[in-house]
Amino acid sequence: MTVELPNDLFDSLRMELRRGCLILAVLAQLRAEHYGYTLRKALADQGLEIEESTLYPLLRRLETQGLLTSEWREEEKRNKRFYRLSAEGRAILDRLLAEWNGINESLHRILKNEKEG
Amino acid sequence: MDLLERYLQAVGQYLQVKGKEDTLAELRANLLAEMEGREEELGRPLNEAEVSSVLEQHGRPVIVASRYLPQHFLIGPGLFPLYWYTLVKSFPLVVLAYAVAQAANFIFGGRNVDIGAAIGHFPYVAFTFWGVVTLGFAVFEYGQGRYFQQIKLEKAWNPRELPDRTEPKGPSFASRVADLIVSVLMLSWLIAVPDHPYLVLGPGASLQKLSFGLTPAWHVLYWQIVRLLLLTLPLKAAALFAGEKWRRGLELATKGIGILILAVMVQARSYLVPLREGSNLPSLANLAQVNYSLNLAFKIALAVCVIKFLWDLWEAVTRSRGNARSFVRVF
Repeated sequence: MTVELPNDLFDSLRMELRRGCLILAVLAQLRAEHYGYTLRKALADQGLEIEESTLYPLLRRLETQGLLTSEWREEEKRNKRFYRLSAEGRAILDRLLAEWNGINESLHRILKNEKEG
Repeated sequence: MDLLERYLQAVGQYLQVKGKEDTLAELRANLLAEMEGREEELGRPLNEAEVSSVLEQHGRPVIVASRYLPQHFLIGPGLFPLYWYTLVKSFPLVVLAYAVAQAANFIFGGRNVDIGAAIGHFPYVAFTFWGVVTLGFAVFEYGQGRYFQQIKLEKAWNPRELPDRTEPKGPSFASRVADLIVSVLMLSWLIAVPDHPYLVLGPGASLQKLSFGLTPAWHVLYWQIVRLLLLTLPLKAAALFAGEKWRRGLELATKGIGILILAVMVQARSYLVPLREGSNLPSLANLAQVNYSLNLAFKIALAVCVIKFLWDLWEAVTRSRGNARSFVRVF
C-alpha cells in the first residue's frame, strides 16, 4: 500500500531540514573567502544546490549576526562583496559541527536499529 | 542590461531605504557574475530571452526583497513586503484625509481654530492607522493555511513585463535656469512694488479709495523677506553648476530660507489695518477676521513646508549614508 503525501507538507518539512544544513554548509565553505556567485558555485560543485535568492540574503543575515565579515573589492574589473568567516563565526561553526556530528551519529544508530529490528 | 536595471528597480521598491543601495549593488554584482557564468558556458553573450530567464529563475522582485527584510514574527516574510508597501503608499493619503477633515472642521465647524491641537492629535490618528493595518495583516497571516488556502505566487513570471526604468527625480537644468530667472523677476517685482503700487493693485492704485492698508509692521517684514529672497539667488545660481550631492544640499538650503520667509509672515499676526473712516470701511471685526484667516493660512503653509523639509532632509541623510556604504559602483 502506498501512502500519498501532500506535497506542501513534504516541501515545508524539507525546507526546515535544509535550512539548518545550509547555514552550516555556508559557514564551512566561507573558511575561504568567496563572493556570492562563487560561493554558490562552490556549494553546487559539492552537490549542495542553493537558490541565489536564498543564499545572498542569508549571507547578509549571517554578517549582521557577526558570523561573517565582508568587504567590497575589485576583481576582474568589477567590484564585488567578498565574505569570510569571522573569529566568532569560526567558534560557532566548531560548536555547530560538533552538534551536527552528534545528531548524525544518533540518527545513524536509530536507523540501524530500525533495520535490524 | 536594461532588463537587469528594471529588475533591480523593482526589487528596490520593496526594500527599506536603509541599506537599499548597498543591497542592490551586491545583487547587481552577483547577477552579472551569474550571467557571465552562463556566457562562458555558452561561449557567446546572452540574448534578452536568456537574461530574462536568469532573472525569472532568481525570483519575483517582491519575494527576493522580502528575503532581505528583517524577520518578523507577526507578519511572515511572504506577506511582509505587501504590508510594508501598503503602509508606505497609504500613509500620505492618511495625512491628506486628516488635513482635509481638519480644514473642513475649521471652515464649516464654526469652532475656534487650534492648529497646535490638530497637529498634536495626528500621532494618535497615525498610530491607529498603523494598528488597524497591522492587525488586518496579522489576522490574514494567521488565517492563511488554517482557515483558507495559503496565497502563493506562481513561480513562473515574466521579467520582460517589468516597468521601464524611471530616472531619479530631480529638476532638469532647463527648469533650474527657468526657476532662477523667475526668482529674479519676482524679486525685482517685489522691490518695485512700494514705488509702483500699480504692480499689485492695477488701475485701482490710482483711485485712492481704499479704506484699508498694510500694517506698519510691513516696513520691517518687507525688508526681511526681500533679504531672505535675495539670499536664495546665489544658492539657486550655484545649484546650476553643482554636482548632484551639492545640488541637493543647496536646494535644501533654499527650502530652509522659504520656511524662514513663512515664519516671518506668521510672526506678523496682523497684516491689514483700516485707513480712514467712511461708508466703505470694512468693519473692524471683519478686518480682524481677515487678519486671522491670513495668519492661519500662513501657519498651515508653514506646518506643511516644515514637514516636507524634514522629510527631504531625512531622505537626503539616509541616501548619503546608503551611498557611503555602497560607495563602490559596479559600473
